[in-house]
Amino acid sequence: MGARTAAPAGGALHYAEAALPGAAIGLVAGSFGAVTAVLAGLGAGLTGAIAVGMGAPLALLGGVYGVLVGRGVIAPGAIGPTALFWVVGFPAARLAEEAFVAAAVGHGAVLREPLPWFLLFQAMLSLGFAIGFLWLHERLAPRWFRRIASHSPVAAGLAAHYGPPPGRTRRS
Amino acid sequence: MDSPDVESGRPAKRDEPVSTDPEAARKASVPRQRRPPAQEQTSGAPADPAPAAAPAEAPDERVWHAGRLEPMPIRKLPKAPPSIHILGPTVFLVALGVGMGESYMWPRLVLVFGPEIRWLFLIGVTLQAVVMLEMARYAMATGESIFFGAARVFKPLMWFFFITAIAVYIWPGHLSAGASAFERVTGIPWQATAVAGMLLVGVVFTLAKVVYNLLENVLSICIGLLVVGTAVVAAMVGSFADLSSTVTGMFAFGYLPQEALSPAWFPIIVGSIAFAGPSGMQQMWYTLHLRDKGAGMGAHIPQVRGLRHAGEQEEMPSRGFMFDTSDSGEMGKWKGWRRWVAFDALLLFWGITMLVTISFTVLAQASARLDPGVTEVIRDGERDAALDAMAGAFSAAGSPVLGTVFFLFIALIGLNATLGLFDSFSRGQADMTYHFVPGAKRFSVSKLYAFFLWGLILFGIGVLLFGPADGPAAILDVLAFLSTFAMGAYCVVLLLVNNLTLPKPIRPGIVSNALIAFAAVFYLGALFYSLFAFGVVVS
Repeated sequence: MGARTAAPAGGALHYAEAALPGAAIGLVAGSFGAVTAVLAGLGAGLTGAIAVGMGAPLALLGGVYGVLVGRGVIAPGAIGPTALFWVVGFPAARLAEEAFVAAAVGHGAVLREPLPWFLLFQAMLSLGFAIGFLWLHERLAPRWFRRIASHSPVAAGLAAHYGPPPGRTRRS
Repeated sequence: MDSPDVESGRPAKRDEPVSTDPEAARKASVPRQRRPPAQEQTSGAPADPAPAAAPAEAPDERVWHAGRLEPMPIRKLPKAPPSIHILGPTVFLVALGVGMGESYMWPRLVLVFGPEIRWLFLIGVTLQAVVMLEMARYAMATGESIFFGAARVFKPLMWFFFITAIAVYIWPGHLSAGASAFERVTGIPWQATAVAGMLLVGVVFTLAKVVYNLLENVLSICIGLLVVGTAVVAAMVGSFADLSSTVTGMFAFGYLPQEALSPAWFPIIVGSIAFAGPSGMQQMWYTLHLRDKGAGMGAHIPQVRGLRHAGEQEEMPSRGFMFDTSDSGEMGKWKGWRRWVAFDALLLFWGITMLVTISFTVLAQASARLDPGVTEVIRDGERDAALDAMAGAFSAAGSPVLGTVFFLFIALIGLNATLGLFDSFSRGQADMTYHFVPGAKRFSVSKLYAFFLWGLILFGIGVLLFGPADGPAAILDVLAFLSTFAMGAYCVVLLLVNNLTLPKPIRPGIVSNALIAFAAVFYLGALFYSLFAFGVVVS
């Protein structure tokens, strides 16, 4: 796939719009446990702590990913840069979540194992997260970019990169 | 083309355009569904066939003879898209393949024999990735399914698969795992969920304009959520020790404890290797999904429409097409398609199957650490009890949410498999019926697809309500035998089809052939060894 060589012109609002798919995926991934916490009958406090602690950092990082794609720093759909991004971002998000939940429920200890092992474990799992994230982003983001391309030069550039929808049918 | 089998002078058939106008010929040779709107024709759509210079079919057109069936006309090969931008048909293999093997059978073997046993999983999934590449070779080169390819070699081979598919896949027992997990979370009886799910699948597929597009979108979202979700949950409950032992265990080549060779465990281990990734006929159906995606020469074949849109179904050609392998430009495009499918096979299929299994193994190890009693329950082999125990271990450790999440993952896996299986079965049977049952061509493919889909659904509902969901007890062993035998058989068919019916420049190399031959020997050898040495069918 061809990397884009120049960042398209656009204001902060346009980049924020381009960041939305990544942020939404991060939010859904992060709050995966919280949605079912309700089904499991957990208290509202713990459910909220899990949702915010994991959802907020992953949503933020997912949005940053979208901005980097919009600015041409990360080539759309490229697995290598995405994996690199999440090998740093995912452990950081997990660390933030552990600290937030521990503070919210009043636990003294934050981590179950030494910090280096914790970070290494999260970094290894980040590859799986990165592929799943990219898979969803490649499925959802092009539709969004095409939709807002008319008023956003950032989205228009990305939409042009993806081209028309694959397998599109035409009304007879 | 390098072969004297390429001929000219064959009169054009009724579904072939006869025109000397290049533009008219191009439009007529590409199904309307796949033609982009006028303003998009030059924008490089990934799945656009882009046959800019498709030759007009004239009386002197060239054809490729493959077997005794109708020869394939020569057409332009479309340009391959960049890799990940088409998250294509692999999603079906992942949806079908990531099932009980990955979420239950292998975590169970790890708890019983230790993580070192996972080297066998590595072998099993890698073999399946090679099979996937070879299935894709025929489908992308011809736009035909592997069933059609089998018929080109020897028609009874195709009928064997037609009958096996009905015998093995008509029973709705595969719905029970996902629906039972859903029952644990919601309390809704699993039979009710299964019946409602089947009816929903039938209605949705019937209303869909193009079945493939709808299903690919739904499955892609489901698989994406599964991968992201399992990674997040494994990150929350697992530890570095769990993950490192799981990963290093994949490279403990040769590790095989004595107990693994016992009559109780050998058939289970062999079955787990065979069912690592897609099992049974799932790889064969992949060729039909490749075609509907428009991969390679599949771009020249119309997509299957839902029954509601059957009136718009374009006529299916009576055979596939071949590209000019003597043209260096065409061969360049072919290499692009091979790169595309290799990316699909290695990163998406192999990688995602591995990742999901690793995540579930980490979950199983974490549950055993939280509650050592889980190991005993899992060892006993009662699937539902083992899944209950794993979920219970997470709940007991103060995280009831994780027990629920675990069941939701199992339900999601069941949903993916059901969607994929119903579509795949109907697609495969419709394809074989349309091309090889006399008189079937008067029905459109979409009507035949709907016939098999609703036949499967109605039979399934009847069996769920009144009969044994897995099939009659008396033939369960026969069904298990057929499922594994079909895998050995399709390896043999692959060898024959790819080496006998394709032009030399695009035939598989010696390494691919050797690996497929090894897979055939492995599947069939293990099946018969287990049968004769222990009197047990692999399970």
